Amino acid sequence: MKRRLLAIAADGALILYFVFALFPIAWMIILSLKPPNELFSTYFSFAPTLDSYRTVLGAGSDEGVPFPRFFVNSLVVSLGAVGLSLVIGLPAAYAAARWRFRGSENLMFTLLSFRFAPELTVIIPLFVLYQKLGLFDTYVGMIWVLQLVTLPLIVWIMRSYFSDLSPELEQAALLDGYTRKQAFFKVALPLVKPGIAAVSLLAFIFAWNNFVFPLILTSSEAQTVTVGALSFLGGDRPKYNLTAAAALVSVIPPLLLALTIQRYLVRGLSFGAVKS
Amino acid sequence: MPSAISLRGVHKAYGRNTALDGLDLDVGQGEFFCLLGPSGAGKTTTLKTVAGLEQPESGTVSLDGTDMTGVEPYDRGVAMCFESYALYPHRSAYDNLASPLRSPRYKLPAAEARERVGAVADLLGIGALLERPVGRLSNGQRQRVALGRVLVRPARAFLLDEPLSHLDAKLRQAMRAELKAIGAVRRTTTLYVTHDSVEALALGDRIGVIREGRIVQTGTREEIWHQPYDTFVARSFGRPRINLLPGTITRDGGFVSADRFFEIPRITPAPGPAHSVRPPAPGTRVQIGVRPRDLSLGSSVLGPGGIELVGSVYITEVLGRATEVTVRLGAQHLSLVVPRADAAGLRPDAPVRLSVRPESLLLFEADDTEGPGRPGRRVTG
Amino acid sequence: MSSSLTETDHGAASHGGSGPPARVVPRWRRGLRPYLLIVPALLLTGGILYPFGLGLYYTVFDFAASKPQPDMVGLANYRRIFGESSFWDSAWVTVLYAVGAAAFETVLGVAVALLLHRSTRVGRVLEKILILPLMIAPVIAAIMWKLMLQPSVGVVNYLLKPFGMGGVQWTDTPAGALLSSIAVDVWVYTPFVAILALAGLRSLPASPFEAAAVDGAGWWFTFRKLTLPMLWPYVLVAVIFRFMDSLKVFDIIYALTEGGPGDSTVVLQIRAYLEAIRFQRYSFGISYMIVLWAVVYLVTMVLVRYLGKIQNRAAEVPK
Repeated sequence: MKRRLLAIAADGALILYFVFALFPIAWMIILSLKPPNELFSTYFSFAPTLDSYRTVLGAGSDEGVPFPRFFVNSLVVSLGAVGLSLVIGLPAAYAAARWRFRGSENLMFTLLSFRFAPELTVIIPLFVLYQKLGLFDTYVGMIWVLQLVTLPLIVWIMRSYFSDLSPELEQAALLDGYTRKQAFFKVALPLVKPGIAAVSLLAFIFAWNNFVFPLILTSSEAQTVTVGALSFLGGDRPKYNLTAAAALVSVIPPLLLALTIQRYLVRGLSFGAVKS
Repeated sequence: MPSAISLRGVHKAYGRNTALDGLDLDVGQGEFFCLLGPSGAGKTTTLKTVAGLEQPESGTVSLDGTDMTGVEPYDRGVAMCFESYALYPHRSAYDNLASPLRSPRYKLPAAEARERVGAVADLLGIGALLERPVGRLSNGQRQRVALGRVLVRPARAFLLDEPLSHLDAKLRQAMRAELKAIGAVRRTTTLYVTHDSVEALALGDRIGVIREGRIVQTGTREEIWHQPYDTFVARSFGRPRINLLPGTITRDGGFVSADRFFEIPRITPAPGPAHSVRPPAPGTRVQIGVRPRDLSLGSSVLGPGGIELVGSVYITEVLGRATEVTVRLGAQHLSLVVPRADAAGLRPDAPVRLSVRPESLLLFEADDTEGPGRPGRRVTG
Repeated sequence: MSSSLTETDHGAASHGGSGPPARVVPRWRRGLRPYLLIVPALLLTGGILYPFGLGLYYTVFDFAASKPQPDMVGLANYRRIFGESSFWDSAWVTVLYAVGAAAFETVLGVAVALLLHRSTRVGRVLEKILILPLMIAPVIAAIMWKLMLQPSVGVVNYLLKPFGMGGVQWTDTPAGALLSSIAVDVWVYTPFVAILALAGLRSLPASPFEAAAVDGAGWWFTFRKLTLPMLWPYVLVAVIFRFMDSLKVFDIIYALTEGGPGDSTVVLQIRAYLEAIRFQRYSFGISYMIVLWAVVYLVTMVLVRYLGKIQNRAAEVPK
């Protein structure tokens, strides 16, 4: 009897935590469905409307916030950053896993230290530099600086994946008559595909969620949703319903990814943390 | 005609661990050569060096007389079967077997390739498994796919790394016979690595014994068996192991055991190439080697010059039709294998008489003569 | 024996079959291979290290928007930082934030992991959505909480009204603002600790627990003497990550309080942002960041060394 009560209490505590974890998301949904005139007068019962979404997603809305554009920007710079990191990071990860050579540990450690460096340390000089080079407020500039987020992640996790792969598989391919390049593309790469998928999605989410870089290095052309969502809070009358709708729209891609592939993400997260 | 495979003074180290320490090896054209040694002796490294997967720090590898330094594995024309199989886990058995025939180097038209894969698969008895992903094959089936991937393609040499080690005893025996048949017919030079001396004796045209990164001895199975270079080689072949009895040379050229329990008046060790051809001086510490199957119970085989020893039964163990008898000779234990009937009446501690032909005695230096841990070399009289 | 195998090897005479003749790759080119593979990563790393170096260089000048032709000032920026009370205030707030957030997240995260480890039906369903807050951008999370914590119309005060504590000025008092910021951090990152702790729990060997159960050990004893010591290395990894990240918190505070009220939640990165971007005193702002970077680096070193010790000790726990 006592045991059952304890079990119920434990489940209760768990549910309590998840109420805490999920309530803000639920509340945003509620807020975003409220008509403006009920924003401050009601809490849970009101006549829902999709007007907020129409305003936020309507290009050139009267609010003057081109949110759809920010969304596309986020998509472009996040995908671009992950793509560039993969192209640059996969060979590096492979080299670090397969060869012991001078400098490889230094490179790996430098990359890891990016993970812990305060972003502003490089951002302020970059801000000055980007102004000079014309990279301020451009996709290229954003993709470049986001490497700070995506590259260490991809190199570190992919190195572990390559290390776990027996080098004898590629050696067998060499003896089968394939060149080293073919052995990499036909044998090694297909076998680490699950790793690439997991780490790419994780890197995408981190790039998408980044705030400091677009805040300082973009103004309107290349601005992303994380900065854009804040703009509805400005002005003399904060538009809570629009802010909520914008916030929700900007978390949709990561949340969808998280729900569909949460098993891989969990593995990627624990992997990245435990292995380093 | 140059050797098919030739290694000269090959040195290879992994960090501080020396894997190959000036290794020399020659494998003749069409020869089936078995490389035998304990784990860590450098067998796999030797194969990988020949294949070009490892680069030696010094020394050369030649194939058919051509120096292979700097030549990539895919340009060496050798095929290798890995101990770990190294099958491509994401592909079917068929795709694994066909992989060499799709490579730029050994490409065959698809129909021809299919025919050839089919023939090899039938030979190895895996014809029915071709569509399966290799993850769903048993160990024995995987090993055969790995072997098939070697056989399916043209090669100037096969490098086989313990290709039978993971099979159960029955399958191993069948595959051994099969390998022997393939080798006999194809006459492709084969360098075969194993830690199993029975396998080496059964398969090898010649056998090389490797220890700590060096070849100790190469020779036919008869040479290796009857004229082992040292106690390490002698101990590597034969189960139960060869008996090694420590002692010293007496003043009149005989042998007395270390505990002076028994004496052999004259020793005329077997001839043949050996490290030293001078008879050891009196007082030299030596070892007598005698193989368990060369010893008999009683005086039955005692011809002219035969040697007789007296001891007591320590333990007997039935091995199928034969019995292994361990006899105590003072502080020494001596095993012999005799027909089961001969050992029937033996009780522990019963006195027993042994005999051996003098020509089956081997004489070795004492171990450690050449430094700590070094096995004693054979000497001839 | 099949006929096609017994005949000859096709092209056996040419051994390697048809194809290009053997090409010799010299040793130096072989040695170059891994370097060729990392050249792009090296270039990119250089591209990131360059601004860092440039930043370091700026700190010995008095570069600012108001002074585009800067003069060399030596270590004056650093002297000024350490001499200003606002730096020490910021450092103190940063430490409070980091310690508070890391501590809350550790306790809550481990508790959630332990509850989920029981694998009840409720737990298995909830585990699937555990990761959600972690996937939300911290700045968005801060916006969401800002709307909820609004004193007069926010839903939190509405829900608290029945408990007799309606009009809490959440982000409008210094202590409230700091606690609210920590709360958002806890909301976002507790799943991170929980995920790592859960992975740790699931990788613990079963035998010591079975032995303890056979010996009739109580729940509390098992937890304190077995679970916690064995789990600690995993938790510590999470704690270190969280602590380091909290030291350089920016997004949450920027969106939630902007450092207010007054200067009460101006953590070091916010201070650097204000100096460098708002007031456009570039050199001075970067100097702040270099100091923070050095602190984070040192603390990481100490913690990682401690972690190594703990993990070694954990490896000695008999399994």
